Amino acid sequence: MAKTILVVDDSASVRQVVSIALKSAGYDIIEGVDGKDALTKLNGQKIHLIISDVNMPNMDGIAFVKAAKQLPAYKFTPVIMLTTESQEAKKLEGQAAGAKAWVVKPFQPAQMLAAVSKLILP
Amino acid sequence: MSFDEEMQAALETFVIESQELLQTMEDDLLSLEQQTDPSEAIAAIFRAAHTIKGSSGLFGLDHIVRFTHVVESVLDALRDGHLSVSTELVAILLPCRDHIALLVEALAEGQETEDAAQSQTGDALLRQLRPYLGEESAVAPVKATAPTNDPAQTGNWHISLRFGADSFRNGMDPLAFISYLGTLGSIVTLTTLTDALPDAADMNPETSYLGFEIDLQSDVGKEAIEGVFEFVREDSIIHILPPNSSIDSYIDLIRSLPEDEQRLGEILIHSGVLTRRELEAGLQQQGQPTPEGSPPQQIGSILVETQSVPQPLVDAALEKQKQAKESKARENQSIRVDAEKLDILIDLVGELVISCAAANLRAVQLKDSRLLETNAEIIGLVEEVRDSALKLRMVPIGSTFSRFQRVVRDVSADLGKDISLVITGGETEVDKSVIEHIGDPLMHLVRNSMDHGIEAAALRAERGKPAKGTLRLNAYHESGTIVIEVSDDGGGLNRDRILAKAIERGLVQPGITPSDKEIYALIFEPGFSTAEQVSNLSGRGVGMDVVNQNITALRGTIDIDSVPGEGTSLKIRLPLTLAIIDGFLISIGHSFFVIPQDRIIECLEMPSTCNNYDYMDLRGEVLPFIRLGALFKLDTHNDTAEDTTPRNREASKRENVVVVEYAGSKTGLVVDQLLGEFQTVIKPLGKLFNHVQGIGGSTILGSGEVALIIDVPVLVRHYSQREQAALRAVPQYACA
Repeated sequence: MAKTILVVDDSASVRQVVSIALKSAGYDIIEGVDGKDALTKLNGQKIHLIISDVNMPNMDGIAFVKAAKQLPAYKFTPVIMLTTESQEAKKLEGQAAGAKAWVVKPFQPAQMLAAVSKLILP
Repeated sequence: MSFDEEMQAALETFVIESQELLQTMEDDLLSLEQQTDPSEAIAAIFRAAHTIKGSSGLFGLDHIVRFTHVVESVLDALRDGHLSVSTELVAILLPCRDHIALLVEALAEGQETEDAAQSQTGDALLRQLRPYLGEESAVAPVKATAPTNDPAQTGNWHISLRFGADSFRNGMDPLAFISYLGTLGSIVTLTTLTDALPDAADMNPETSYLGFEIDLQSDVGKEAIEGVFEFVREDSIIHILPPNSSIDSYIDLIRSLPEDEQRLGEILIHSGVLTRRELEAGLQQQGQPTPEGSPPQQIGSILVETQSVPQPLVDAALEKQKQAKESKARENQSIRVDAEKLDILIDLVGELVISCAAANLRAVQLKDSRLLETNAEIIGLVEEVRDSALKLRMVPIGSTFSRFQRVVRDVSADLGKDISLVITGGETEVDKSVIEHIGDPLMHLVRNSMDHGIEAAALRAERGKPAKGTLRLNAYHESGTIVIEVSDDGGGLNRDRILAKAIERGLVQPGITPSDKEIYALIFEPGFSTAEQVSNLSGRGVGMDVVNQNITALRGTIDIDSVPGEGTSLKIRLPLTLAIIDGFLISIGHSFFVIPQDRIIECLEMPSTCNNYDYMDLRGEVLPFIRLGALFKLDTHNDTAEDTTPRNREASKRENVVVVEYAGSKTGLVVDQLLGEFQTVIKPLGKLFNHVQGIGGSTILGSGEVALIIDVPVLVRHYSQREQAALRAVPQYACA
């Protein structure tokens, strides 16, 4: 069975490209438009990996990861944060929240695929 | 969809998204200087630039990444408080935004790289930004590059891994990393070290205890291998020794690891990187201080320091951790629909309304009460469908308003005046078609207010006003219409000069003193707006009469309020939609007419006493009325009151009066029959009827008959002008 990845980003084009790349690699994708929206997607279904942007309206990525890690079903779910080279502080904050992996924006789809396959077995 | 097609679709999303972000960026940039706490706006601007950069990297649009990166860096400095908001900075950031918009525009037209001219403009702008970057100006342009491989190497890499105890808890699966490592080359040997495993009773299943010694045959570089463990590097002990490393480095490795030296040595010998002799010699040679007893984490961190591990991480930890305020930017979930599809839907709903009316008529004729009941239900639903269909076209007027920030900025710079724009009611929704048409008239009014309304700074000081002039744009809903206000705190209209001019032009009879409102309304008369005559109200090529025409074409009206010395306020009233209106159906003789319901105040029966006058007594008020039948030269049943045809005998012999309001005054429209509310789908009249005064359009009744829609403002104005002309022609009445 294909593994499921939750992609959270307020930019529709980022979600779209990440989804296309991951789907073509055989993953199932769920999308969230911001932290708040993404939390509603964490309804107990099995999610193998979460990819989340940091800077988002309504609820930013860090608050979202903190909240997600409170949920028993997603306590151990690996999280990839999308950061930028100008956001080192954010990266550390994200790591403190439980997002230990990151991909630096701007990235190419191949880089995202590499990060994903470091975290979940095919 | 193929992969390419999907990417193409994603690129289209990117273009639309970027255009929206650029719009917010412009709005926020323009509002920056006016805000006491601009941090929210800065965060929003930063995020816009940030998202555009991030997304364009995904598509390999390096030129957009390169340019936006610098802009983002400046914004980042602004966000962190290293820079402060200044007019100069905004003046540079605005053209930068425009340049990004230009690049996105070009992309939308299929141009995926920049041309020479664009790159020149871009570079020029970047040079202007440079002073704001401080020492960071040397920042190398970032490019979205795929991981590259170092020059090929031969031999086996040796990798020692001790995953952090919390790895599983962090969602890091050692197996996944090793599996990924396998994609870089082939794993020659892999030894699992279980030394750290406690007794079963003490073991925590969530804790990682395992270590790995791996030999990898691969021609990738060290960076690539390090990259594999990027996410666990900070919590884990990882050593990567390149192929053919010196014996010393292996010995150091053995010493630095927590496990037994001999045991590790055996593994290395087994994997072939060391010989037994080399191992023993090495251990003896450097036999002095043993790092025994030191906690492995510490060693790990020392080694991490000495090995090539990013310094920025440490630096960043010291950096002020500033949480950007969560922006309240409205990011409602929405779907994009082609406007044309919506128009088709609205058209169809319009037809549906007509068909419903036809079905209802048939039911009335058949006197089928159950069919009538069902029809009533259907009509109710269709009305709801109509309302929600129309709502789909409703958009907040805010984006139209905020365009004027730029206009006000530019024009006030041109005029040498200091003027700020205050926008309120931007969330007020109005039909898209109205928005499309309101831009030009608004532009004219705004420029007019700035040019002629708001005084020069010196004059303002003389009048005791703040040097900075204020222009306000406001919008709100009022009984089925949207009201848009353009007001300024300028000098106000010069009532006497307008009146004098009007008398000179014969628009007002000498000796008659119209009300202030009527005088102000004169500025909308054609030819009234020439610059030299009425100095504080003149147009830039387009007169106020054109504004008035535009608004009238939208079935709207303009009211002017002005207080000398304090300012002028123009109120534009527009219907919420142009497609369907709530009408009131009336008949005169054999003809049907629809009066827009939002104009109607009340309906009453015509008192029999005033058949010979043009006014009646409405509860103590004088109500002038217009006999529509006479105006349109129709046969009303009143003219043939003695007619004995069955139709007219049935009908009330009395006429009815529909009281309508226009420009604050009431007028009665005398009609034969009141037929009730009617959902009116507006069909425009053909060009042939362009000159017809007082008729705004037509509609088709359920019976298939055509009803004309009365344009109350035009009708009333036209009628009163005609009456005035008639009075002038017969002077004794005017004197009476």
